[in-house]
Amino acid sequence: MYYRLKSYRDLFLIFIWREFSIRYKQSIIGILWAILQPLSMMLLFTFIFTYVLPTKITDYPYVLFFYAGALPWSFFSSSLNYAIPSLTNHYNLVTKIYFPREILPLSGVGVAFIDFIFACSVYVLLLILFKINITWHIIWFVPLFFLLMVFTAGIAMILAALNVYYRDVKLASGFLIQLWFFASPVFYSIDKISFKLKIVLFLNPLTFIIENMRRCVIEGRGVVWWQFLFMSLFVILLFSISYKFFLITEKKFADVI
Amino acid sequence: MIIFKDVWKKYYRHHVFHRSLREDIVNFFKRKQKQELKKNEFWALKGISFEIKKGECVGLYGPNGAGKSTILKLIAKVTYPTKGIVNVNGRVAPLIEIGAGFHLDLTGRENIYINGAILGMHINEIKRKIPQIVEFSELEEFIDMPVKKYSSGMYLRLGFSIAIHSEADIFLIDEILAVGDEAFQEKCLEKIKNLKKQGKTMLFVTHNRKLMEKIADKIIFIEKGEIVNEKV
Repeated sequence: MYYRLKSYRDLFLIFIWREFSIRYKQSIIGILWAILQPLSMMLLFTFIFTYVLPTKITDYPYVLFFYAGALPWSFFSSSLNYAIPSLTNHYNLVTKIYFPREILPLSGVGVAFIDFIFACSVYVLLLILFKINITWHIIWFVPLFFLLMVFTAGIAMILAALNVYYRDVKLASGFLIQLWFFASPVFYSIDKISFKLKIVLFLNPLTFIIENMRRCVIEGRGVVWWQFLFMSLFVILLFSISYKFFLITEKKFADVI
Repeated sequence: MIIFKDVWKKYYRHHVFHRSLREDIVNFFKRKQKQELKKNEFWALKGISFEIKKGECVGLYGPNGAGKSTILKLIAKVTYPTKGIVNVNGRVAPLIEIGAGFHLDLTGRENIYINGAILGMHINEIKRKIPQIVEFSELEEFIDMPVKKYSSGMYLRLGFSIAIHSEADIFLIDEILAVGDEAFQEKCLEKIKNLKKQGKTMLFVTHNRKLMEKIADKIIFIEKGEIVNEKV
């Protein structure tokens, strides 16, 4: 992969920049949109679980708790939303000019990364506002996010490639992402759930990633080493399979798109 | 430089949706013979073989649907042959559809960066070449305007100008003379002759026989996916 992309590194950067500037061109609040998605999600959940369905979800401030979950989730969902139709949207390019096609879905992940960075600023603000005691375990945030990125890229490539063949993928993706949202601990925590249920929920890699990204920052808890190792192996395996799949299908993109 | 050895290319007449997922899975396990033509399939190329050396300028001539553009696509590595070998050495700049990568909301200058990068140029290279590209396209006043406000002539001029300035070894040119007014066409021809002098390999398709005889070192005549004649 590195070898394939090396000489196209500039194209990759330019694509990220391109998508980024297209997205926020002719929009009034521009980059603030990146913050708006997790922010509105957080506000809605805080409202629902404080007033509509008063529920005890966590001891930590709801505002902070929900934002900590919505942040990685927004990264995941906006990456997929962009990446899945990326190949078919660039029909013009795919049928005319050669370049490593993975650049298209991956630049979607790249743009979501920039959004994520901006949205993090609000996170930092909230952490200061609520005087959260930060421990050195916060360092875990970085490898966990890296894991999330690799996982997202893997899923994005498989679905984008399949979408070239069967447009059903795009039609199903909205619904799939919605289901996936409820299967991920964005507005709940798996802390107090029974062990049996935990195992079921852990079949979803996002459970591990989102839960731990929140724990290491807000609660100052570390990550269990063997769990992290196991999950990394799983994610890397998934990524390499999806990349292989992408390379095999890529040769026919221009003929079937 | 470019070698085609008994190249066959099969296309589906219908859209892929007419095949079902089930059929695909069955075929995958059966490993159907590639030679076999199924219903609704046809050969776009039937055993094409030729060789183009570095610095040669070759014209492809033939009626619509003969397979000329398919050959260009195979060289550009956009698609792959069903059978046979395609060997290409060097960076390829396809001018197959000029301006394919333009985004309408972005300015001319921004599009130069994008299109340049798609053609394999590095950011520094593009930066260095922007003045030349803009000058050649004669769009100095409009370069910071969104491309959607361009006329179709301006659009093509910019696309052509970017492609021709890329440091490729092989240029694929499909119907270049649809570009701009007469003066600009003249300029393009001049530029193409220049590139030829620099030892660039060129492959082009046009229905203008006179022009082809003027520039090409060799003309390959194609009909219904087969080479019918070659003229040096």
